[in-house]
Amino acid sequence: MPDEGPALRMEDVVAGYYSNDLVLDGVSIDAKPERVTAVLGPNGSGKSTALRILAGFLRPRSGRVLLRDRDITETPAHRRLSLGLGFLPQGRSAFPSLTVEENLLVGAWHVRSDRRRVRALLDAAFDRYQTLWPLRGRRAGTLSGGQQRLLEIARLLVTEPQVLLIDEPSAGLSPALADVAYGEIERLRSEGRTILLVDQNVRAAIDLADDVYVLAYGRNESSGPREEYADLDRLVREWLRAR
Amino acid sequence: MTIDSTLQALANGTVLGLLYTAVALGLSLTLGVLGVVNMAHSALLIASSLLTWQFVNVAGVHPLLALLVIVPVFFVVGALIEHVLLRPVRRQPESTGLLLLFGLLIMVESLALAVFTTDPRTLRLGEFGQPVTLGPVTVTLNRLSAAALGAIGTVALYLFLQRTMVGRATRAMADSRDAAAVMGIDTGRLSTLVFGIGVALAALAGVALAMSFTFSPQEHVRWLAWAFLIVVIGGLGSVPATLVAGLLVGIVESFAGFLLPFQYIHLVIYAILAIALVARGGGLMAAASRRL
Repeated sequence: MPDEGPALRMEDVVAGYYSNDLVLDGVSIDAKPERVTAVLGPNGSGKSTALRILAGFLRPRSGRVLLRDRDITETPAHRRLSLGLGFLPQGRSAFPSLTVEENLLVGAWHVRSDRRRVRALLDAAFDRYQTLWPLRGRRAGTLSGGQQRLLEIARLLVTEPQVLLIDEPSAGLSPALADVAYGEIERLRSEGRTILLVDQNVRAAIDLADDVYVLAYGRNESSGPREEYADLDRLVREWLRAR
Repeated sequence: MTIDSTLQALANGTVLGLLYTAVALGLSLTLGVLGVVNMAHSALLIASSLLTWQFVNVAGVHPLLALLVIVPVFFVVGALIEHVLLRPVRRQPESTGLLLLFGLLIMVESLALAVFTTDPRTLRLGEFGQPVTLGPVTVTLNRLSAAALGAIGTVALYLFLQRTMVGRATRAMADSRDAAAVMGIDTGRLSTLVFGIGVALAALAGVALAMSFTFSPQEHVRWLAWAFLIVVIGGLGSVPATLVAGLLVGIVESFAGFLLPFQYIHLVIYAILAIALVARGGGLMAAASRRL
C-alpha cells in the first residue's frame, strides 16, 4: 500500500462515562485507507468505548478524532454519516417494527429528497443481497439473527459510507453465519472502503485485518501489521499478564 | 332496545369513540415514540377548548376556522416545550421530565383558571348545532364535525407514520434512538417535531371537545384519565389500536347509557380496562413496547 495518512484517526483520547471513571486513557488509533484495522483486547479494555467515541456517541474529555484530517471531535453522531463515516453497532440494530424495505429506506435518509437516488440505492442493496428481496415486506423483528445482520450490513451500505466502524460483527451468530459476516467485510475492503473493526473473535479479526491495535486497561498496549500477531497464544498470554 | 335505538346508540358511540381517539392520539404518540408521559396533555387540550370558546363566542369565528389557527399555534407550543423543557433533561431519569410536565400542567391550569375562571363553557353554535338525520339516526352537525376531526387526525397521523420518510424515521427512532442517529437522523430535531405533533393533536381534540361538550379549565384531569384509559386498552403508539380502543370505549359507553343507570357506565368502562390489563399483562410498561 502507498504510505498515505490515516482515513480516520483517534488522537490521545481520554474518555469515560461518568465523572469519576476513566475508560480510555490517552488512546490513539489510526485506520489507514482501504485497509481493515482491528482493535482487540480483553473485556473492559475500552474497545467498544473507542468505537462509540469515533461514531460520535461519546465526547472525549481530551484528545481529537480526525476524519481525513478534518477534526470531527465535536461533530454529533448523525452528522458523521454525511462526512462518509458509517457505524455498524454491536448486537441487533435493525429496526424491528419496520419492514426490511423500510429499514433500507431509513438507510437512505441522507438522500431522502431525491426519490430516484433512494430507489437506485435500494435496488443496488436488493441486487447485492438477493436473499433480502423475498423478505422485503417482513418486519425486521421477525427475521433470524443472520438475516437481521445481513439487513444491517445492507442498510449500512445504503448510507454510502467510505469509512466503516464495525463492532462485534459476529456477536450472536452461528459460526456459519459469522463466516458470511466476515466474508462481507472482506468484500467491503476489496471495494476500497476503510474499515475499523472491534471484535472479541480474535482469530477471525486477525485473519481479516491488515493492521492490529491491542488495548488493555484503556491504554494502547501494542500495535502493528497483522503478521506481528500471528502467534495467537502469545497474544492471549500477554493479555493474561496484563490482568 | 329497538333496531332504531340500537342504530342510534351505535352512531352516538362511533361519534364519541372518534372524539376519544382524538383525545388519546397525541398522548399515545409522545409516549410511544419518545417515552415521555405528557402529563400536561389534557391541560393543553382544555386550553385549546378554551381558546376555541374565545374565538367562537367572543370573536364570532366559526370553530372550524378557529381550528386552522389553534392547531398550528399549539404545534409550535409543543415544539417549544420539547426544545426548552424536555431536551435539557433527556439524559436525566424519566421522573425529571414527568415532574417538569406536571409543573407545566399546574401552570396551564392556573393560567386557564385566572383567565377563564371555573365557569363551565359551551360554544355558541347557532346553525352549526342543527341535527342531521340519516334514516333512523340523528346526530348534530357539531358532533358529526367533531367526529370527522377525530377521523381526519387519526388517518393523517397513520399516513404520516406509514407513508412518509419522516414518519418512517419516527418509527425507527421509536425502535432505537442510537440506531436512528447512525442512519444520519437528527433525533433531537425529530423529537421536537414529534412532541409538536403530539400537542397539535391535543389541540385538535380540544377543538373537537369544545364542539361537543360543556367544559371548564379544571376538567382536564377527567380527560387525562380517559386518554390513559384508551392508550392502555389499545396500545401505545399504535394508531389503529388507539382507534379501535377509542371506538370500543365510545360504543360501550353509548350502549351502557341506553341500557344501564348512569352511575354504572364508568364501572363498565373500567371493567374493560381491567380485562385489557389482565389479558395483556404488564400495564403501561408492556404497552410502551408495542409497535407503532
